[in-house]
Amino acid sequence: MSTPAQTSTISEDAVEQEVRRVGAELWQAFPSSSRHPVKALDARAMEMASGDRELRTALFRFVDVVPACRSLDDLARHLTGFLDEVPETSPPLSAAIKISHTKAGRAALGAAAAGGVRHLAHRFIVGETPNAALSTLRGLWDQGVASSVDLLGEATVTEAEADRYAARCSEAIQQLAPATAHWPPRAVLESDSSGPLPRANVCVKISALTPLLKPDAPARGQRDAAGRLRPLLVQAQRSGVHLHIDMESLDSREAVLELVLELLDEQEFRDGPSAGLVLQAYLRDSPDQAAQVIDWARATRRSPPLTVRLVKGAYWDHELVEARQHGWPVPVFEEKHDSDRNFEALTRTLLAARPAVRVAVASHNLRSVAHAIAVNRVSGGEDRDLELQVLRGLGDELQHALAARGFRVRTYCPVGDLVAGMAYLVRRLLENTSNESFLSEQARGTPLDQLLAAP
Amino acid sequence: MLTPFANEPILELRRGPIRAQLADALAALDRELPLDVAVEIGDGARVGDQLLSTDPGAPDRVVARAAATGGDEVQAAVAQACLGFARWRETSQEERSAALIAAAAWMRERRLELTALEVRECAKPWVEADADVCEAIDFLEYYARAGLELGRGRELLQVPGERNELRYVPRGVVAVISPWNFPLAIPCGMTSAALVTGNAVVLKPAEQSPAMASRLVAALRAGGVPPSVLGLLPGEGEVGAALVRHPDVAAIAFTGSLPVGKEIVRAAAETADGQRHFKQVIAELGGKNCVIVDADADLDEAVPGIVGSAFAFAGQKCSAASRVLVHEAITDQLLRRLAGAARVLVVGQADELGTDVPPVIERAAQERVNRYADVAARDGTIVATAESPAGAGWFCPATVTTDLPDGSPVLEDEIFGPLLAVQRVRDVEQACEIVDGLSFALTGGLFTRDPATVRRVSATTPVGNLYVNRGITGAMVARQPFGGNRLSGTGMKAGGPDYLLQFVAQRAVTENTMRHGLVV
Repeated sequence: MSTPAQTSTISEDAVEQEVRRVGAELWQAFPSSSRHPVKALDARAMEMASGDRELRTALFRFVDVVPACRSLDDLARHLTGFLDEVPETSPPLSAAIKISHTKAGRAALGAAAAGGVRHLAHRFIVGETPNAALSTLRGLWDQGVASSVDLLGEATVTEAEADRYAARCSEAIQQLAPATAHWPPRAVLESDSSGPLPRANVCVKISALTPLLKPDAPARGQRDAAGRLRPLLVQAQRSGVHLHIDMESLDSREAVLELVLELLDEQEFRDGPSAGLVLQAYLRDSPDQAAQVIDWARATRRSPPLTVRLVKGAYWDHELVEARQHGWPVPVFEEKHDSDRNFEALTRTLLAARPAVRVAVASHNLRSVAHAIAVNRVSGGEDRDLELQVLRGLGDELQHALAARGFRVRTYCPVGDLVAGMAYLVRRLLENTSNESFLSEQARGTPLDQLLAAP
Repeated sequence: MLTPFANEPILELRRGPIRAQLADALAALDRELPLDVAVEIGDGARVGDQLLSTDPGAPDRVVARAAATGGDEVQAAVAQACLGFARWRETSQEERSAALIAAAAWMRERRLELTALEVRECAKPWVEADADVCEAIDFLEYYARAGLELGRGRELLQVPGERNELRYVPRGVVAVISPWNFPLAIPCGMTSAALVTGNAVVLKPAEQSPAMASRLVAALRAGGVPPSVLGLLPGEGEVGAALVRHPDVAAIAFTGSLPVGKEIVRAAAETADGQRHFKQVIAELGGKNCVIVDADADLDEAVPGIVGSAFAFAGQKCSAASRVLVHEAITDQLLRRLAGAARVLVVGQADELGTDVPPVIERAAQERVNRYADVAARDGTIVATAESPAGAGWFCPATVTTDLPDGSPVLEDEIFGPLLAVQRVRDVEQACEIVDGLSFALTGGLFTRDPATVRRVSATTPVGNLYVNRGITGAMVARQPFGGNRLSGTGMKAGGPDYLLQFVAQRAVTENTMRHGLVV
């Protein structure tokens, strides 16, 4: 069984001590926000938005509709339409609504709002294409930060859209592999005890590879997606690129997990490419998936080992609402601390399963990250056998601190159209401006001791 | 005390172990086929095999052999119901509501069995069949509670010296004439609403789904409804017609097509010699349901919403989408995506979970849908087709068409099949005018992200159920009370707070409480 037998022997006191040490060390290494006035401004904007649920919703709805607006006038009409529904608007917002009463005012407001969304988009989206993103990715590399490219796009409802998405993934592999080959060596980012780590790293969404993925009949979508994923795996193996299969909502989890484990077990892919999947700690039954994946990894002895990215999960509202609407048991933890606790338990499980799997802990929560580092160290692991991951635009400070302290950090970098891409990203933004999120606590100046307390 | 109403949870078919139960349930059912369905009048049950219900996906498979109501059986059934009514009206509201709750429990214990039967008898795919069984349970639970509430009467103004009461009393014998497309939920809703308010029921189910109706009768009788209070008359249209004409029938609850609905309204208006009441008609009829897509719509949501509403269960729902009215700025884009999404639909057997479009109910339906598809090909453009599989079932290809001329029957008639017409409009206002020009007004859809557009359309649309930024089928009891306006229906919405009012008469009782200057 894959229960973390060996971690039960480590001293909890030692772990907590190490969490506080590592946490303080990272905290010290956070960049001072005074040196980044623009980021400080963004942080204040996020804080303002997170303090007011209605306003956050209005802004979310606006960013979501921007790509579909046909003129500045249209933009302004939508923006004021959403702001109108915020019960108590602050003076600047009331002013915005007021100027929208004239055509000239709407043009000005529309232009300002479009500019705002673009500004925001630049913070999160590293380029319209992988090639366009290369200079940013290289910049990260030079700062000691690895990257993973995620291709933003519309939902796949037709075969043509699935083909187009597969072609974009293929293009990403094709562009990133030769370009990253010329980058200077970075030992921390390029190898661990299991061997070399590809510099180029591309994320793939199964739901975008097929229009046929149905929760109640996964087989047909799996077959269809496999037809497009196989050539990508072949190409990734030839080019030495890591392919990471993202996880989405619970509706597709079973299909994605089965598909990936089946494909990677095919003779052709036993020795590569480097590949990975995602474990979502907010799911109550995620320990079962962890066990399934680890059992699989031990049985197949695939090389390079499968990378498991541990996340909290980005579809919390969706899962909760869907379950409530259907009268199903809620599949996610409803209390944040339960989710955090499970995250830590899974961290231990995964770390103990090495070298059958590689572990990437993806969180912006300083406690969760320090905990992973601490458990790894206390149980005798090496820092290089733990990867930490953050999101572009949200985890920049943590990314900086981790790189500065010599950890392997990889930043998840969305690539795609600035305007349309932003609409696809709002979900992630929404989650990260929620009241309980670590980032907003950090922004509110919660003391370090509290931030590092066990969940 | 009853717990507050909650919808029966549909099966969580995204989980493998739950999907695995379906095949077993179907195999168990197949071993029992064909089932026998009797004419049930009081304690009597006459079996027969004049009426065969067959699997639309495999017409050689006989699902049920039913006796066809004939001779003086309509007369006998109504007479028996009159006797039953005299007794049932005297039972307490608590007892009648308890019978519905017990019937719901009976169904809940047989969920998969009922669902499998529906898959076979009506070729309703698993997900849809499961939803129908859940909806039947919901109606029982909801009307049981609504009956209790109605039984308490309403508060009237009270002044010294008099006591005023408003009571709701049953009408008498209700004829329920039900369709095959929601073969458990719809007859269950109409029947249980009539029963819980103290009426007796004679049920004439669609000739295509007698077995499902017999399960409903079994559930209600097992729940405690006396046999004399609920009769079952399998048969063709003339059985329903005879019921409608019968002078002892007080109300008719009908769900079905507009032509039959018109006929019922006309026949019910006649008062036979000796008939001492006007007949109440509660009718849910057809639709020609439009989905409006504005330029600011999120097509990632609109495309799956429209495809599901148009093609699930092969479009055989009165709520199904049959027209899309799309803003000219995004027509080409929407058409391209809709066409692509329609092309990958699986037309196949209802018992396979991956099937999107099952066969239609019978040969005549297949011929009708194909006729309209031919008209669409002749007068307009076919932009996508998902082909039928080979085989004996009543399959129709799923079709998306556009460029039809105004007045085309494809744009006006209720086709009740997997055929969707897309039309370019100048703006939402023009789309609203088109909707307003139709005689049907059942469901409608609107995809937009502008709150002002939502307010405007919802304030003026004639439809009974408007769905914003989602599919337009799948009304849930207590959440989306369902029913149409104009020629789409006559009455209050099913699954809503006012539905039971159609099954009752009112009686106000005022008692003088003064006796020679004293308040007693």
